[in-house]
Amino acid sequence: MASTGEEEPSEPLNGAAGSDEEAGGSAASSEVSLAERQAERALLERPAFSLRMRLTLSFAALLSVSLVIAATSWVVLTRLEKRLGFLEVADSIDSELLQARRYEKNFFLYGKGLEEARVHVAEARRLVAASRVEFGSLVGVEAIAALQATMEEYARSLADLDRPQHLPAPVIEERLRTLGGRMLEAAERMSTRERAEVEAEIRFQRRIPLFFLAAILVISIVVGLFLTHHILRRLKRLDAVARRIGEGDFTPVMPTRATRDEFTNLAIALNHMMGELDQRHRALVRSHKLRAVGRLTAGIAHELNNPINNIMLTASLLEEDYAALDEAERVEMVRDLVEQSDRARRIVRNLLDFARESEMMVEAIDVGEVIRHSLELVGNQLRLAKVGTHLELADGLPPVHGDANTLTQVFVNLFLNAVDALPEGGRLSVVAEADANGYVTVRIADTGCGIPEHLIDSVFDPFFTTKSTGKGTGLGLSVSLGIVRKHGGNIDVESVPGVGTTFTVTLPATSVPPPSTAIEVSP
Amino acid sequence: MTASKLHILVVDDEAIVGKRLKPALEREGYEVETFERGADAIARIDETEFDVVVTDIRMDEVDGLQVLDHALARSGRTKVIIISGYATLELAREALAKGAFDFVAKPFKPEELREVIRRAAAVLGE
Repeated sequence: MASTGEEEPSEPLNGAAGSDEEAGGSAASSEVSLAERQAERALLERPAFSLRMRLTLSFAALLSVSLVIAATSWVVLTRLEKRLGFLEVADSIDSELLQARRYEKNFFLYGKGLEEARVHVAEARRLVAASRVEFGSLVGVEAIAALQATMEEYARSLADLDRPQHLPAPVIEERLRTLGGRMLEAAERMSTRERAEVEAEIRFQRRIPLFFLAAILVISIVVGLFLTHHILRRLKRLDAVARRIGEGDFTPVMPTRATRDEFTNLAIALNHMMGELDQRHRALVRSHKLRAVGRLTAGIAHELNNPINNIMLTASLLEEDYAALDEAERVEMVRDLVEQSDRARRIVRNLLDFARESEMMVEAIDVGEVIRHSLELVGNQLRLAKVGTHLELADGLPPVHGDANTLTQVFVNLFLNAVDALPEGGRLSVVAEADANGYVTVRIADTGCGIPEHLIDSVFDPFFTTKSTGKGTGLGLSVSLGIVRKHGGNIDVESVPGVGTTFTVTLPATSVPPPSTAIEVSP
Repeated sequence: MTASKLHILVVDDEAIVGKRLKPALEREGYEVETFERGADAIARIDETEFDVVVTDIRMDEVDGLQVLDHALARSGRTKVIIISGYATLELAREALAKGAFDFVAKPFKPEELREVIRRAAAVLGE
């Protein structure tokens, strides 16, 4: 129940996700990611304080309270029993002394009964002597000693009656009356005190169930609070984790408490699941990128033919007319050859840069550059489809925190989708600006056929496609959304059938300036 | 070959194509005019009747198919030769169906184009 303050899990959005990205080369390895291992170690290195142990402790506390109550009750009852015994003895002494006094009076009235009086006093003295310690603690040792002395003197005075030569009878009678009164008074006091003690014990005994009830109540409340606090809070946290997994955030669960318990195993299992999901996601992103590369390749091949054609024409003519050409013409042709080779190299390099399996590099990047680069990659497709483009980048666009390569993939995918949706002569407009909430929004609008209203909610679902079999996997938008969510952003879609569709990519801006060499963009 | 030179128009948005083809074809004894924009080519076709029009099929704004239509509308005897890239072979076939004389696929050597032009000249000469 000792709560160590449940702070909300504070995970960096993509820092951890990026740093542990395994090197792209190793094919879909099942090896546990570094972050997952670290999380597991952190989760396990805490001292164990399991739920079972906590519950056992709670019930042990309950049991000990019950035992204490039962023991107390037993002790009190035993004491009461003893007290009742003494009360009986005290009453007996009282009655023996009363009897003695009665016979004493009879003796003086009728001259007989002296022997009986003596027997009763002797019995009273025996009873007092037997319970001397107990009565001593009740009324004081001195009082008992005084009673005993009084009784002894009384007994002696009774004996004196048999020896009239010793003292005159009226004197003895007077002494006996005084002593007897004192004796009776002491015995009665003793009896009264004993009765009061018994009543006190009974009153205490009556309170025990109340103590018991109070203790049970307190323990129940504490256990109940523990259950709600401990278990429900954990369940709530795991619920939140499950929710963010659904949104594509695979940051491992980190410990927030000082001890571990059964929920720790669940957290480890969740981390393992996230590790697997993350790997699958990465594999999906990879395979999806290769599809995009495939689509770009057709345009690239076409585009490559232009510089190659220029080279072929120039080289052929240089060969044919070499002797007839003057120096300046030759130099110009050779320069063309170099320029056109360079152009061909650039086209190929752009595609290769995009296709290359690169490590995720999370850093501050210039979205404008990423967009320009993406547009360049799909440039051939745009030209072949006769799609006009309009690019508008707001001044002073803040950098975003992310991986340039995967974001390029997102934009390439959205642009290619737009090309597919656009008729010849359609327009693709890309507008990037910063909003007031610290986000950069990129609106990618096409003037295409639009998405029917009943399908718009499904466009981000995996394997959803409106393209004919074999043309699309239906994974493009789903993978793109996954990538953007991992960057802490989102993609929204709006569409008016027959008018066009707008995809809005939102990415959180960062205050860190982008390194100047974040991405290579061809001039 | 008749006394009058074969009049050829070459249009390709790649500047080097015109720049290289002009001397290469002129050496064969043809009269050659080159353009980089389809619209300019069409304007020139309106002015003069060409014997042979060589046009790239993929160009911004006015493309090869429009040049083809225009040239054929201007004169039924003009032979139009299409230059096609990898991704436009389908278009090239469409152009043939529309009445283009032949097509050459990029990348090509000057001699390959000369060969096609010679065939066109032979047809024109008959």
